[in-house]
Amino acid sequence: MHVTCVAALRDYYGLPAHPVKVHEPGQMLGLVEDDLRRAMGIDVIGVFPRKTKFGFPNTGWKEWNFRGLNVLVPADFRTATRPDGDILIYPQGDETAEPSGRMPVGSAFFDAIIRQPEIDEEKLDPADNLEEFGALSEEDLDHIERSARAACVSGWAVAAGFGGTGLGDVALVPGTSLKKPKGIRDVAEWYISTRTRRGYIHAVFERQCEIGIQNLARIHARIGDAVDCVYLCGTDFGTQNSAFCSVPTFRELWLPFYQRLTGWVHANTTWKCFKHSCGSVERFFESFIEAGFDIINPVQCSAAGMEPAALKSKYGRRLVFWGGGVDTQKTLPFGTPQEVREEVLRRCEIFAPGGGFVFNAIHNLQAGTPVENIVAMLDAVQEFNGGAHG
Amino acid sequence: MGVRMAERDELHAAVVEGDWKAAVAATRNALAAGMAPIVLVNRSLVPAMDEVGRLFDCEEYFVPEMLLSARAMKASMDILRPLLAATGAEPAGRVVIGTVKGDLHDIGKNLVAAMLEGGGFEVIDLGADVAPERFVEAVAARNANLVALSALLTVTMPSMKTTIDALSAAGLRQKVKVMVGGAPVTQQYANAIGADGYGESAGAAVALARKLVAA
Repeated sequence: MHVTCVAALRDYYGLPAHPVKVHEPGQMLGLVEDDLRRAMGIDVIGVFPRKTKFGFPNTGWKEWNFRGLNVLVPADFRTATRPDGDILIYPQGDETAEPSGRMPVGSAFFDAIIRQPEIDEEKLDPADNLEEFGALSEEDLDHIERSARAACVSGWAVAAGFGGTGLGDVALVPGTSLKKPKGIRDVAEWYISTRTRRGYIHAVFERQCEIGIQNLARIHARIGDAVDCVYLCGTDFGTQNSAFCSVPTFRELWLPFYQRLTGWVHANTTWKCFKHSCGSVERFFESFIEAGFDIINPVQCSAAGMEPAALKSKYGRRLVFWGGGVDTQKTLPFGTPQEVREEVLRRCEIFAPGGGFVFNAIHNLQAGTPVENIVAMLDAVQEFNGGAHG
Repeated sequence: MGVRMAERDELHAAVVEGDWKAAVAATRNALAAGMAPIVLVNRSLVPAMDEVGRLFDCEEYFVPEMLLSARAMKASMDILRPLLAATGAEPAGRVVIGTVKGDLHDIGKNLVAAMLEGGGFEVIDLGADVAPERFVEAVAARNANLVALSALLTVTMPSMKTTIDALSAAGLRQKVKVMVGGAPVTQQYANAIGADGYGESAGAAVALARKLVAA
């Protein structure tokens, strides 16, 4: 949820006023604290990696004025404002490095700055695209252990994202955490590479899987089954009306690696495996199931071929739908509270019967979403559940 | 004619297959054989990009293949563009395209730009995060008859309306047609902000552009 939405909800529910922590600066996500979690009736708590997408740790909070809203950001969140008002952010908080993110005036997010070194086909080395996927440090493991143990005793379901297993996620391809990224870092070039440099992509995924599984094993040794599900990969395979690749390409390029990751998780833990993919992805659902995913998110019902009742009827016994609750492109930001309520109730009626549904808006609540609509969404869930929050 | 047909097919095939090196070679060969640049555009590139759009619409092609074909088409156009300018050949239309202010997402916009260029339009691509006044300046300076606006974020969609308003304020709105597109954009939204058309996909954008300039 965008930090401005978190702040507006705290205000709406009359919770103690204090600046909200931005715990993920790329999308400017605000931390939902326990008091707000209770007020909203949320049943899930998150466990996040120690470092942000820009490579600095989420520690040492300081105040930052985000276009009039006072928020808290990590100590190494370092920015520069250009004369035109755009805000630049530095990798690892190093102001001597080239900035790796930019928030233009009128936006509310930091998008990656593409820093693509010239590509010499002869010298392309998969290791260059693996720099950010190393072994977790003891400090990383300590952080995950602390967070997971605290979450585990909270009584809420625990959803964890440890990082490192996002295979070809274009949000990560630009290497925003790195000071000098090497390899293929331009998003369009990466897409092209899935067609023209398959050997390279295979080699990256192969090694990323090995490192990822080693990290998962070390995490599991620390936290055991303290978390309920693990967000393994956020690679988007769908666009609004189509897909980023064919099903055969998915099965050749991703499926074997996903199977390795989920196979390890299922063989060694009680964790459920969570897959995020926006867009029109119904065509991949059989493959997602075969890949070992238990949960699909965000179930973008507004995309082509993502009709809720058909999804529920075809896959409802084999996949958990974590999302699909309300549209965040149209209804939630631009609709009326009544329209929000009606859509939420309709979706709950479709997805909830027989279980396998975790209510969630379709993707993050975006900046500028009216708080009345967010409250209408939460109230409708409460209404559907026939009682009070929680 | 037989030689010319073979060369035309070579360029067409290179673009459809997304092979930019072959597209460059085919373009050079065709020019050396005496083909006029405008003929190469109209008989090879336009049908090739139409075919790419068709393959995308019927889901034989996806974003990577589109990007490759766009790259091949642009490599050919880089050779042909100065020659076309020198001959004074008139394009199908002049389109100013950009992702609106506040929005840095440009893959979809780039694909639409490539499809339009491959469709015989002269494309003035202003890039991403384009302020309304830059659209106004470009329309006036380049005598454009079409403006194509892209947005991926709900927070930047209002910049589409701001841009249309800026064109009106500058007295240019009646001179140009405005088409909009991007993941969260709909026909309904296009109507609400006073755009002339909404393109659901890169292929649809070309058909829409042709319709708008013909109107």
